[in-house]
Amino acid sequence: MEKIPVLTGKEQRNILFRLLSYTKPHKKTIILAFLLLLATTAGDILGPILVSIFIDDYLRPQNLVAEPLIILGTAYLGLQVMNLIVSYFQLLKFQEIALKIIQQLRIDVFSKVQALGLKYFDKTPAGSIVSRVTNDTEAIKDMFVSVLVTFIQGGFLLVGIFIAMFILNVKLALICLIILPLIFMIMAAYRKYSSVFYQDLRERLSQLNAKLSESLQGMAIIQVFKQEKRMRDEFEEINEAHYKAGIRNIKIDGLLLRPAIDLVYALALIIVLSFFGFDSLNSPVEIGVIYAFVSYLDRFFEPVNNIMQRLSMYQQAIIAASRAFKLLDEDELAPDQSDNSSLQVTDGEIEFRNVSFSYDGKRDVLKNISFKAKPGETVALVGHTGSGKSSIINMMMRFYEFERGDILVDGQSIKHYGKEELRKKLGLVLQDPFLFYGTIKDNISLYNDGLSDEEIKKAAEFVQAHHFIQQLEDKYDHKVVERGSTFSSGQRQLIAFARTIASNPKVLVLDEATANIDTETEEAIQFALNKMRKGRTTIAIAHRLSTIQDAEQILVLHQGEIVERGNHQELLSQRGLYHKMYLLQNGSAEIVEDAVGT
Amino acid sequence: MRVFTDLMWFFKQEKKAYITGIILLLFVAVLQLVPPRIVGIFVDHIIGHTLTAETILFWIGVLAVCALAMYVLRYFWRIMIFGSSVKLARLLRNNLYHHFTKMSQAFYQKKRVGDLMAHATNDLSAIQQTAGAGVLTLVDSLATGGAVIIAMAATISWKLTLIALIPMPLMAILTSWYGTLLHKRFHKAQGAFSDLNDKTQESISGIKVIKTFGQEKEDIEDFRKQSEDVVNKNISVAKVDALFDPTISIIVGVSFFLSIAFGARFVLAGEITIGELVSFTTYLSLLVWPMLAFGWLFNIVERGRASYDRVRALLAEKVDIQEDADASSEVPSGNLLYQIDSFTYPGANVPVLKDIHFELKKGQTLGIVGKTGAGKTTLLKLLTREFEGEKSEILFNNLSIKKYKLDSLRAAIGYVPQEHFLFSTTVAQNIAFTSPKIDTERIYDAARISHIHEDILQFTDGYETVVGERGVSLSGGQKQRISIARALLMNHEVLVLDDSLSAVDAKTEEAILSSLKEERENKTTIITAHRLSAIQHADLIIVLDGGTIIQRGTHEELMEIEGWYKTMFLRQQLEELVEYGG
Repeated sequence: MEKIPVLTGKEQRNILFRLLSYTKPHKKTIILAFLLLLATTAGDILGPILVSIFIDDYLRPQNLVAEPLIILGTAYLGLQVMNLIVSYFQLLKFQEIALKIIQQLRIDVFSKVQALGLKYFDKTPAGSIVSRVTNDTEAIKDMFVSVLVTFIQGGFLLVGIFIAMFILNVKLALICLIILPLIFMIMAAYRKYSSVFYQDLRERLSQLNAKLSESLQGMAIIQVFKQEKRMRDEFEEINEAHYKAGIRNIKIDGLLLRPAIDLVYALALIIVLSFFGFDSLNSPVEIGVIYAFVSYLDRFFEPVNNIMQRLSMYQQAIIAASRAFKLLDEDELAPDQSDNSSLQVTDGEIEFRNVSFSYDGKRDVLKNISFKAKPGETVALVGHTGSGKSSIINMMMRFYEFERGDILVDGQSIKHYGKEELRKKLGLVLQDPFLFYGTIKDNISLYNDGLSDEEIKKAAEFVQAHHFIQQLEDKYDHKVVERGSTFSSGQRQLIAFARTIASNPKVLVLDEATANIDTETEEAIQFALNKMRKGRTTIAIAHRLSTIQDAEQILVLHQGEIVERGNHQELLSQRGLYHKMYLLQNGSAEIVEDAVGT
Repeated sequence: MRVFTDLMWFFKQEKKAYITGIILLLFVAVLQLVPPRIVGIFVDHIIGHTLTAETILFWIGVLAVCALAMYVLRYFWRIMIFGSSVKLARLLRNNLYHHFTKMSQAFYQKKRVGDLMAHATNDLSAIQQTAGAGVLTLVDSLATGGAVIIAMAATISWKLTLIALIPMPLMAILTSWYGTLLHKRFHKAQGAFSDLNDKTQESISGIKVIKTFGQEKEDIEDFRKQSEDVVNKNISVAKVDALFDPTISIIVGVSFFLSIAFGARFVLAGEITIGELVSFTTYLSLLVWPMLAFGWLFNIVERGRASYDRVRALLAEKVDIQEDADASSEVPSGNLLYQIDSFTYPGANVPVLKDIHFELKKGQTLGIVGKTGAGKTTLLKLLTREFEGEKSEILFNNLSIKKYKLDSLRAAIGYVPQEHFLFSTTVAQNIAFTSPKIDTERIYDAARISHIHEDILQFTDGYETVVGERGVSLSGGQKQRISIARALLMNHEVLVLDDSLSAVDAKTEEAILSSLKEERENKTTIITAHRLSAIQHADLIIVLDGGTIIQRGTHEELMEIEGWYKTMFLRQQLEELVEYGG
């Protein structure tokens, strides 16, 4: 559950202006939409004027001459038809603009998310990031689509009606102006109270839902500890509070929304009627003008009602926008690379020089790590969970920025390489081979359009994935659903291998899967791995020691330090930590018993 | 409209509010007719030069009174009708919650929490809409529509009324059709949105992969495409949505045209006055709302019916674990005897437990070990009657657990589940879950035994720190120990620890186990564990594999024989050595 930020009036205005700045690229469409809106409004205004002309010039004097009447009638109907078409396109255009604006905002937020460093993802739950990209922007969409558009359309009509009133009768129009401050007062009062009450209602609803969802998840506990009755009482209490908040909202809506506006309508009608009434006592009055005024009043209040009903939506959208903008202004960016560097990774030599690192700034997870992998060599990292293996890889892949020590690639600090170059030359194979929604081909090429089908196939053949892919329906175009759960974990690994091979890196970074893989695929995977490692410098995290016996160097990590190093045979003969780990995986019961005994 | 009959019980229950509300609505419908009529009277007076200051003041007075009366009536019918609908939502929500608390775990196994939530939120709000806005639109559109038409026909001209109404049904038909169309397209737009949501979710989960392969640009491009799809689907919604206003306005326009064209002829023929014609056109504008409302009503009612059916089906789900009529309300104490021939989960084909027979004397400790999925937790869930089967029987103090009232049986058991679930409240309230008003000293005691007291004092607000989904995040070990403290509070006959020490380190585990031994003399304890050190001192250890017992005995006995237990024990000792750096 996230806290709802409290925004000052100034902040709200700033947010609104920032949102409005998104309209800039659509200037032309917006002008067109406004022109259409102008035409619609004019059409709406003209109708009653035509009728009033008819009443005053023809009907009242009983002067029904065919020709002008036909013109008048055709004009009226023509106006209606024109209005039908113009207002349709006008409504559509405004919606289109609003949707396009939101799309841009969405893309901006999403792009920003992609640019953030992993540190941000560590401290922010995935759900809330997703919420920023989709739900918050959706709330803003509601504002653009219904609130702003309603405000603009309503505003136009109101202005238009007043212009028409001034043309028809300046004095009366001036008098009618007094209803404007009245409406503004009601609006201000409604905004003031409803924002409090409505917020309260939403708060209660979210409490209610939180309670419900928590109870559903913890039902086993509630039942086993026989707290059903108490939880029911608590729920009923929250439900009751929510009910009361609901009733309060109905009351405030009833007092200040439509009924109140209808009351103002009656007041306006009283003004118009008294004016004409008293006027007629002294001088003749044009009935048509009365008709026009009355029918304008009829139209005047509909947009007012619409605007009032959407005030709460506006509030929601501003809050959502403040969250989205906060993310856009986030500065926890991914580590910087000197992008215009022309340095190239040619040999693939990797050296760690006294690297220390801490995620939280308090506890070091890596302490003074130094090692060197010559081109083509394999360095294996082993150790218990939390020993720092993954952190080494995180440093190498530049997921996190480090300040102490340095990592050298071909003798140059890794920070001096361009981002693209590093990505191309360092190939990471993750423990959990993450497959994306799309086809097998997409997953191997990862949207890299530069790869031909032939190259994709070659990569798959290289890691022996081609065979099983061939047997799938649609082969390389087979759809990957639900993160590849239809494949075995071994098959997923092979696809991930193909992905790495397709990008042909100089250095391989392997994060070996801990999951149990059936022996048959296990063999295929080992075979593929050995093939991939040939001619490439490899830094590998290994859980199964059997897979790294041929590594040139094995580093045994414990609590962020390298405690043992050497090749397999050397380490075994040391009879230290590595030896115990090896026994754990390969030893028979008796040998284990011996080891425990010593 | 069937949903209105289905909800009749509620309308009857709230009949005062509904009847008052409807009567108020009817009054409003009639009062609405007054202002247009007064406009007409004014116009006729002006034309006839019969207007006097008094007449003006009189009619203005009438208008003012009417307006005020309508304001008051409108306010009150809202309270009556909308208020009742909120009441209905409250009632159904309470009923659902009540029902949820009675359902067994078998129910929760086949339903997803998300779906249940959706019923309690979306469905209830659709039902609330039906009982509020639905009733309103039905009554109001009929009342206003009827009143206006009668007023037009009776007081002005029935001929003109007929003519003016010709285009109106088209409006109801068209808007209702648009409604259906809109609903379908809206559905698609929602689908596209939820795809976009999935896409975002996926990108964020896979952010490492994306960064590794430098796929940010490509992924953003993919996102752009998907968001484009959302835009397109929404534009197709807008295409229908934008039809509403123009359609209404042209139909009303035509209707106006007809009434003025024909009305003018009637005026010339002397059948009606100009004032009446002006009133007539104002009446016409009052008809727009009922016509619209009718189209709208069908959509509300349709949604409400579907939702109400779902909620009703949910409430009709049978409570599958029943209490015997003559069940004992005595809290059991004594020996436990498991006699399970076989047990299969509801809906599954393969039994998870086979042939499990053993006895645990009062005060003894039982250790259950075995691989994941061997059936350890199931053994415990049968004891608390979260599940039950025909061919499985557990005797507690020589009486089947089915012969005890559920509450009495569960009063005898303190349970620490595998998934340590804490509620969004303070640490103290989490520990005092079974008796919120208990002495704080007893809460501290329970926390001390489970070795979490010191940790809690370190929290920012000590025992008042809020935990759970909305509170601070605790480590797995801390959560486990708080769950243990929760189960220890009442010093139950039987304490069940379901792999509840997995996230605490070996030293703390040992400390907790020895305090337990001290505190729970003469009380039965059942422990399942992956780490064998947790059950090493048990009076009886059973090793489960594939749902059946493969080894049993004490630690010493089991270490004598070559088998799963001994192998595992040694391995774990070595693991521990590795963990501590050799």
